[in-house]
Amino acid sequence: MASEMRITFQEELEQVEAALQEEGAYVLRALRAAVNAVEQADAELADEVIAFDDEVDGRYLAIQEGIQSLLARQTPVAVDLRLVLAMLHANLHLERMGDYCVTIAKLTKLVADVEPDEGLVQAFEEMGQRAEEMIRIALDSFQRRDLEAASSLVDLDELIDRANRRAVERVLDFGGDISKREWGLRMILVSRCLERIGDHAVDIGEQTAFLITGEFREFTDASHTAGP
Amino acid sequence: MDTMGAVAPIEIAQAREAPLSASDREAVFETRGLTVSYGKAPAVSNVDLPIYRNLVTAIIGPSGCGKSTFLRSLNRMNDLIPSAKVDGEVLYHGQNIYGDGVDPVEVRRRIGMVFQKPNPFPKSIYDNVAWGLRVLGMKDDLDGRVERALTQAALWDEVKNRLKKGAFGLSGGQQQRLCLARAIAVEPDVVLLDEPASALDPIATTKIEDLMHELKNEYTLVIVTHNMQQAARVADMTAFFTLERTESGGHGVLVEYDETPKIFTQPDDKRTEGYVTGRFG
Repeated sequence: MASEMRITFQEELEQVEAALQEEGAYVLRALRAAVNAVEQADAELADEVIAFDDEVDGRYLAIQEGIQSLLARQTPVAVDLRLVLAMLHANLHLERMGDYCVTIAKLTKLVADVEPDEGLVQAFEEMGQRAEEMIRIALDSFQRRDLEAASSLVDLDELIDRANRRAVERVLDFGGDISKREWGLRMILVSRCLERIGDHAVDIGEQTAFLITGEFREFTDASHTAGP
Repeated sequence: MDTMGAVAPIEIAQAREAPLSASDREAVFETRGLTVSYGKAPAVSNVDLPIYRNLVTAIIGPSGCGKSTFLRSLNRMNDLIPSAKVDGEVLYHGQNIYGDGVDPVEVRRRIGMVFQKPNPFPKSIYDNVAWGLRVLGMKDDLDGRVERALTQAALWDEVKNRLKKGAFGLSGGQQQRLCLARAIAVEPDVVLLDEPASALDPIATTKIEDLMHELKNEYTLVIVTHNMQQAARVADMTAFFTLERTESGGHGVLVEYDETPKIFTQPDDKRTEGYVTGRFG
């Protein structure tokens, strides 16, 4: 019977992966707060979201350094190499999600004096929840090496894309209401940020699939889709 | 629910150990202006190098750079070569081991050594480990000491049913772990390893490397290795030596000494970078 070997290396891999999950938990926290801030036009909470991004970035850098050290010292191959490469990508995707939360917070602050539109608030709440669910599935399927769950992100992304289009239409419905025009324009960007967070969750799912199958392919091809 | 503090608090685990800071650690050895010569020719020249407690320190460099000579100077193994001459100091916990009145046998009890080729005594497995203990009068609970040493060397399970059998019946990898058990049985402070895995197959090599990671909790380990990747894998600190050519031949010098990740990701010296990238040797 083969015994456990290269224990240090395995531990280091596990540490980086644990840090990645931790980064994901930070992003979830930032996202929930960013959505709350925009829904309640809460500039103070928006400031906290912006400041909190340092925590996400701290994890990002630690993971980056950990991976650099692993590559330099441990010459990972086969499944270990795929894990390292997948983590390198997933790390960047999570960090980008954090940046989108910051953007939402900044947009919130720009129009914090405007009473939010009830319909859009509901749309953001739905999109926020969907984005959170997608991040959870992306993290969880990565951790469990679950190809089926990772692949399911594509369908979830379609839902968030539709919600994004509805949000844009809602803003267009404001028509000539000058008082809502700036607010509406900002909110289209908020909607876009939430939609992009979903895209990054799908990208993490693609890394999970690469990790499991050894073949990289995009779940969907943005330049060859049938729809708009 | 309005503040971030109220949102899904998570445990913030320390993902990686806090980066080791060598300067905070106790130096077990400190060489000062150490030059070792064979006859008139220096093999390694003017080395200032601290070695820190409970770390694995690797010494790497091309053939002839004096890394083995340096290692052997740390427990006065060079005394056994008549032409060898040592200048400078090797401070061990502040005391120069080449000073007057220092007993080299006591030095070697505290600073054990494992060599490139497994060299068990032509005796039983048990006696290989017990030998040093008997010589040093550490005879209380001899069986327990032998078992502990073999366990620490990750060999106990493989040999516990044949302790009285000859050591030469073991595989090369097992023999090397037996030599490691023999070295740590006498409760040294430091274990020096001179190419301990170069005669072993990859599996046996990995076992030795895993073992080093375990053993550093109790001992300070210094390893000389030709295998750069081995240094990268096992060492906390890495010293790069190179051969400085002179008209009369050349001698080894210490080029760079730093935390291992630094040596393998961003060395300060061009010569180190040339060596670790395999561009120059």
